[in-house]
Parts: sequence; structure tokens; C-alpha cells
Amino acid sequence: MKYLRLWWFLTLNTLQTTLAWRYGTLIFLIGKFLRFGFFFFFLSVLLGRAQTLAGYNATQVFFFYLTFALVDSIPQLLFREVYRFRQQVLSGNFDYYLVRPISVLFRSLFGGSDLLDMPLTIINIVLLVIIGARLPGISFFSSIAYIVLLMNAILIAAALHIGVLCLGILTTEVDNAIMLYRDISQMGRFPIDIYKEPLRGLLTFVIPVGVMMTMPAKVLMGILSPQLFIISCCIGIAAFLLSLSLWHYALRSYTSASS
Amino acid sequence: MSLPLLITEQNILEPSMKKYYLVARNTWDQTIAYRLNFVMWRFRVFLSLITTYFLWLTLLPQGKVIGSYTQPTILTYILGGSIVSSIVLSTRVADVAEEITQGDLSNYLTRPVNYIGYYFAKDIGDKGMNILFSLFEITIFFLIVHPPFSFPPHYVNTIEFIIAMLVAIFINFSINMMLSFIGFFSSETWAPRFIYYILLSFFAGSLFPLDIFPHWLYILLTVLPFSYLIYTPMKLYLGQLSLSSAMLALSIALAWAIILYFCVQILWKKGLKQYSAEGK
Repeated sequence: MKYLRLWWFLTLNTLQTTLAWRYGTLIFLIGKFLRFGFFFFFLSVLLGRAQTLAGYNATQVFFFYLTFALVDSIPQLLFREVYRFRQQVLSGNFDYYLVRPISVLFRSLFGGSDLLDMPLTIINIVLLVIIGARLPGISFFSSIAYIVLLMNAILIAAALHIGVLCLGILTTEVDNAIMLYRDISQMGRFPIDIYKEPLRGLLTFVIPVGVMMTMPAKVLMGILSPQLFIISCCIGIAAFLLSLSLWHYALRSYTSASS
Repeated sequence: MSLPLLITEQNILEPSMKKYYLVARNTWDQTIAYRLNFVMWRFRVFLSLITTYFLWLTLLPQGKVIGSYTQPTILTYILGGSIVSSIVLSTRVADVAEEITQGDLSNYLTRPVNYIGYYFAKDIGDKGMNILFSLFEITIFFLIVHPPFSFPPHYVNTIEFIIAMLVAIFINFSINMMLSFIGFFSSETWAPRFIYYILLSFFAGSLFPLDIFPHWLYILLTVLPFSYLIYTPMKLYLGQLSLSSAMLALSIALAWAIILYFCVQILWKKGLKQYSAEGK
């Protein structure tokens, strides 16, 4: 409860800072909506011409894209502070995080959540429900499994963001790593079935873009085997535990050289 | 009578041509000095190419046709478009906005250089490095994937393609410069650039050829400058435009380059009057 209140306080602070740049904020917001809308339009034109993509019909491809967009936007909304982490380490401000009576990981990960991503995320969820309802063969259990794999995807995203924080402590390199994460995750805009092996296997199990973006939609459509469902969850839990160990290692290695 | 600033002003023509060559070379050296950033950037571009390539490979199997595209032509379009994108869209002009808002522009105003020409030279250096890397990436891609790829059907198409690309470089440079000059009037320069990048990513033609859009939208897009950055050069490369259509497309592109050039000059002059070296 204490951390929830703290998160809300820090998030409001970030929002106030963002709103100081009203004109820029408004244009950014319009830009995000445009990008979302343009891509939707692009997909509809494409599927109007080709009818199917890797065997999936238009409704399914839209659902894959919306699931990707949700899994992409929630970590951006929650973990925005990671994008500013390098500066905290370079300036020595990170030392102040260490002496405060709150979790350093919580502060570094959730310290600047960006509510500007909220309107688009809500629209995304509404569209997911509308388009998801048009998919055939959805059951109560497949819906629950979908939500479980969505949470699993956020867990993996959290693990990857923690990994970037560790890299920031160990090497002060954050910007490239986080942008690389963004670009690799963009490969999940379409179902990973479009990629050929061994790239597909790599994107499923090594860089778990498939587990994050494609598997949740597949489980709702009833085309994911129970084994893959369990493996996906195991990958999520393993990635998160590994990132926590790495975080502790990085903290132990921190020398506060910049201050 | 003042002559066009970019290519004919005195300080560019005289022995000082060498200084712009040195600026280009310094930019090249700078890129090598910060090579991790650059290699990561190129890797990210490569990832985007992989996604687009496999998307089209899946959408358009052998024997299927969408519009005027078969599998070999669309894949040539995507791969060629990736090289064109590296040449046309790579730019350092985004730094101009920061130099204006931080007051660093003053350092250049006191030097015997044409500021716009200076950045054009920087862009040349940057493009050189991007071309080198994109050719390397494409070679690796060819060795691994063996994609179908075709060359222009006629040497005239090659000439048209090169002209279109040169004009595209000027168009993109001018638009970027104008976006940076917003810094003279407002400190919020990144948001309009963000919108420009979004428009580019959808309407320049790097993700897909624009003529797959409904006809009314396609016509609208050919009026705007974005389609002349990647789509038109690649259509000319593929030889899919008749001579009259090619001439029309090149004329519109050239008209945009001239209009934007004058807009840059006007904004530069107005901006300098407004400039107060804030931050210095």
C-alpha cells in the first residue's frame, strides 16, 4: 500500500513536469494516436489486398497487433524512469536513491511512470475487447489464459527493463540498450509465424518476443498447445528471477565513481 | 544580387570548398570515434529491414501479385528502399535545434562558414558512413537469405533513380532544417520532429510501396513531398514509371526541393532576427 501511494505521488510529479511543456505534450499525444491509427489503416489496406497473413485472417491479424500494442505500451507507461536512468548514474543522483528508505529497484523502475500513454492504452483495450469478441471459439478458460500470458509478458518486459538498469550501473550504457529492446519488440507487431527458422525459434525462446507478443493472442484463439503455455510462463518467471539476481550483482558492483 | 546559399555562395566556392570537405571528414571520424552508438543504430535499422522483408515474403508468395508487384519486385523494392533510406534519410540536422535553443549557434555565426552549408557537409559525412554500413548489411543479408533482387531494366532508369535520390536528399535536408529552425521560435522542437518521423515511416514508402493504397490516397500522397524520398526513387529504379510519368514525378520532386529551399532561407533569416543566444 505504501508503495502504491508512493508510485501515485511520483507519477503525479512526472505528469506535472510533462505538462509544463503543454504544446509539445499535445503534439506528442497526437503523434502517438496518428502512429496507432496509421498502422491500423496500413494493416487494413494490406489485408484487403492479400486477404491473409501467414494463414491468419484480418480479424486475427488486428488482434495480434492490438495485443502487441498493449504489451508494448504498458511497460512504456510504467517503466519510463528506465529511459532517464543513465543520467541518474552519471550525475551521481543514484547515490541518493541508495540512502532512502525505499526499494532502489522500485525507485529506478517505477519512479517516473508516464500517464500520457494512458489514453491510447485505454483505447487499445477497448479495441481488443471489440475485436476479440469477433474471434471464433473463445471460452472463459482461454480468456483467463490470455490474461495470464499478458501478465507474463509484462513480467518479461519488467525483467528486460531491470536488465537494462543493471547494464546502466555496470557500464552506464542505457540508451542504446533500451532502444534495442524497443526495436526487437517491434518485430512482434506481426505474428512471429511470418519469420523463417532459425529466426522464429530465436524470437520465441531466446529473445522472447514471441512469448510476449504472439503467444497471448494465440492462446485466446485456441491455437497454443498447453506445453507451450507452460513453457511461456516458465520463461517469464525464469527471466524475472534472473533479472533480480543480476540486479543484486549490479548493486554490489556499483562503485559510485561519478559522485 | 544574392545567389542560392547552399551551392554558390562565395565562401563555399573558393578554396574554402576544402573546409566543407574537412567538416564531412570530421563527421566521418566522429562516427568512428563513437562507433558503439553507430553500430547499435545500424543494427536497429537492420532489424526493421528484417521485419519488413519477412512481412512481404509472407504476404506475397511466389506467383501471387499485389498491384504491380510480384514477389521479386516487392523484395527488390524493400531491399533497395532500405539502401535509399540510409542515403536519403540519414542526417545530423536534428542537432541544429539544440544548438539554437542552447545558444551554441553563436559560435558558428562568428566563424567564416555558411551554417547551412556546414550542416550539409556534415550530412554528407554521415551519409557516407551509412551507405558503407548499409551495403555491408545488405551483403550479409544476401549471403544468408539469398533474396530475389533485380537491377534496373534500362540504363535510363538508373539515371532517373540517381537524379530522384539526389533531389530526395535535398528535400529531406530542407524539411529537417526547417523543423530545427522551430528552435528560433520555441524550445519545444522534438514534438514536431516526432510527427515528421511518423509521417515519414508511413508515407515515404520504406515499409510498403505507396501505390498499394486506395487511388485517392495515392494521388494525395504524390502531391506531398514524403513520397519523393523513397517511393519515387524505387519506382524509377524498378522501371515501373513511363518516361512521361517519370518526368512528371521528377518535376514535382524538383519543385518541392526549390520551394523548401526558399522556405529554409526565409526561416533562417527570420530566425536570426529572433535569435537571442539564450543560454549563453
